[in-house]
Amino acid sequence: MRRRTLSLALLAVIATASVAVAEVCLSPYVKRLAAPEKYLYVYSVDADAKDNDFLAVIDVNLASPGYGRVINTVDLGSAGNEPHHMGFTDDRTKIWAGTLLSKRLFILEVAADPAKPRIVKTIDDVSALTGLHGPHTYYALPGRMLLTFLSSADGAPPGGLAEFTNDGQLIRVFKNPDNAPYAYDVAVKPEINRMITSSFTPLRNYMKPLAQWDMKDGGNTMLVWDFKERKVIQTLVTDPVPLEVRWSLKPGATHGWTNSALGDSIWFFAQTKAGSFTAKKAADLGKGCLPADLRQSPDDRYLYVSCFMRSEIQAWDVARPDRPRLHDTVVPGVSPNMMHVTMDGKRMYVTNSLLSTMDYSGNFWVRLVHIGPDGRLKMDPFFDVDFTKLPTGPARAHDMLLY
Amino acid sequence: MRGGRQLASLVLVAALLLAAAPRPARAHDAPQRAGAARLLSTHPSLGVIGRAPRFTLGDPEGRPVSLTDLAGRIVLLAFIYTSCPSACPLVTQRMAVLQRRLTAAGLFPSRVNFVSVTVDPDRDTTETLARYAKGFGADPRGWKFLRDASDALRPMLAAWDEWTKPLPAGEIDHPARLYLIDGAGRVREIYSLSLFDERQAFLDIRALLVQPGP
Repeated sequence: MRRRTLSLALLAVIATASVAVAEVCLSPYVKRLAAPEKYLYVYSVDADAKDNDFLAVIDVNLASPGYGRVINTVDLGSAGNEPHHMGFTDDRTKIWAGTLLSKRLFILEVAADPAKPRIVKTIDDVSALTGLHGPHTYYALPGRMLLTFLSSADGAPPGGLAEFTNDGQLIRVFKNPDNAPYAYDVAVKPEINRMITSSFTPLRNYMKPLAQWDMKDGGNTMLVWDFKERKVIQTLVTDPVPLEVRWSLKPGATHGWTNSALGDSIWFFAQTKAGSFTAKKAADLGKGCLPADLRQSPDDRYLYVSCFMRSEIQAWDVARPDRPRLHDTVVPGVSPNMMHVTMDGKRMYVTNSLLSTMDYSGNFWVRLVHIGPDGRLKMDPFFDVDFTKLPTGPARAHDMLLY
Repeated sequence: MRGGRQLASLVLVAALLLAAAPRPARAHDAPQRAGAARLLSTHPSLGVIGRAPRFTLGDPEGRPVSLTDLAGRIVLLAFIYTSCPSACPLVTQRMAVLQRRLTAAGLFPSRVNFVSVTVDPDRDTTETLARYAKGFGADPRGWKFLRDASDALRPMLAAWDEWTKPLPAGEIDHPARLYLIDGAGRVREIYSLSLFDERQAFLDIRALLVQPGP
């Protein structure tokens, strides 16, 4: 009787447990914010490489007198690294932040004083450690970080994956297969034991000015992995250079989307009843868009696409997931790139540097888009953090995280 | 008996609390069950994550228990606290289900043991832990609920990267992880409390027994 009562009680808990308010596009293993954001971390490249690269801390607490200003910078101690992406550990106490042109990787502690992150470890030569170069995505697993790398240590394919403990000890490395050697993003759907990786271009290409790129030296595949086995089980073919991997956020959903940078398209992928995956082109973004980033609304209703070359952000209604419909657009300024949507889905922070070798604007900024309950996008006329006139000169603002 | 009823009541209260409006998540939210059919892996790749930090803590009878005492056995280690309203009782319940399955397979307690360490030793007395363990049907031969005084426990929690942060209403925020340790004392898998699936854990344990690894 006692055990039956307990079981019933536990079933009640399971049935009524509230779904966590998701902060969009982070690993599902990352601890969520317990309150609206106060700090925006912006990973930044010193534009002329004469000063050190840095992590900027912007005050985004509406109640603060410092709102909308850079209140701190963390000096990375060297220049010319090409800081790019970063990610929280599962417990949100550390940020892992790597670079695309050097071999340095930084681990910063943020929990003690989120306004003042501090570097607690620098891996000076991540290529010597892993045999890979160019860490791109920093994806939290329980107690570990899973990183994608764009190249092998020599700057050529194959790229791959490497797992580390949260404090920076290498656990293991998985190189991409020969028939799909390009790497970029990764996202895990633990509920169905599947992981998908996407593909970009290696160091030997992206280190050159864009006009000199070999546009055939890039991937057009997404790999479906058995996550627990860390084993590739299927290769999906898409338009060239599928970048972000975004699983649907709806409980039980087994589909998602990616943005093809050179195909100017959104691709829809989904698991079939037989268990395998299919991929198909779902939306044409318009020629010359170059979709550099893809984000989701927390309710899974909208996809946001930054058209780097056409300088607009598009909101796509995905009420029918495989048939996105253009819902709204906004022009935040020249060459919008990274977007970061808040956990309530009401705000989207935007930066406008992609890569030193790809940027075509000399003005850099961090701006804010408000997202209405109707999914409409509206620029905040007051939030405009100028990264062109910093004390150290212009800085290319790229990836962002919130605390 | 009385302890079990109290525990059931506690869990029912938790259910009512959780039925309220959605709230921002913390480091350890309640485990989720997806609507999609869970795909389990019968051949998991369990790399060596690192050496399991050693510890010696006290069981509810006050006897010292060391991780090294359990060498040769697979250990599932969880960090919990008994007044936790959601994730801890649910994970403990799933561990109880796993215990039953391992027992039926003849693996528990001879080849697999569980350890649950409280992160709240000030409130989780030995009596509280004993009552909690009994409420979940923990087999004391192979499932130890351990504690120590706060000062003595702190280095152990730090070695396991298990920070704690008091929250309003008496809750404690802490990294929501379970660790699977092989017979050689190495961490081979880390689970999230919120996504822990005892069926996959069973397959992981079986894989470690068949292939202990390098």
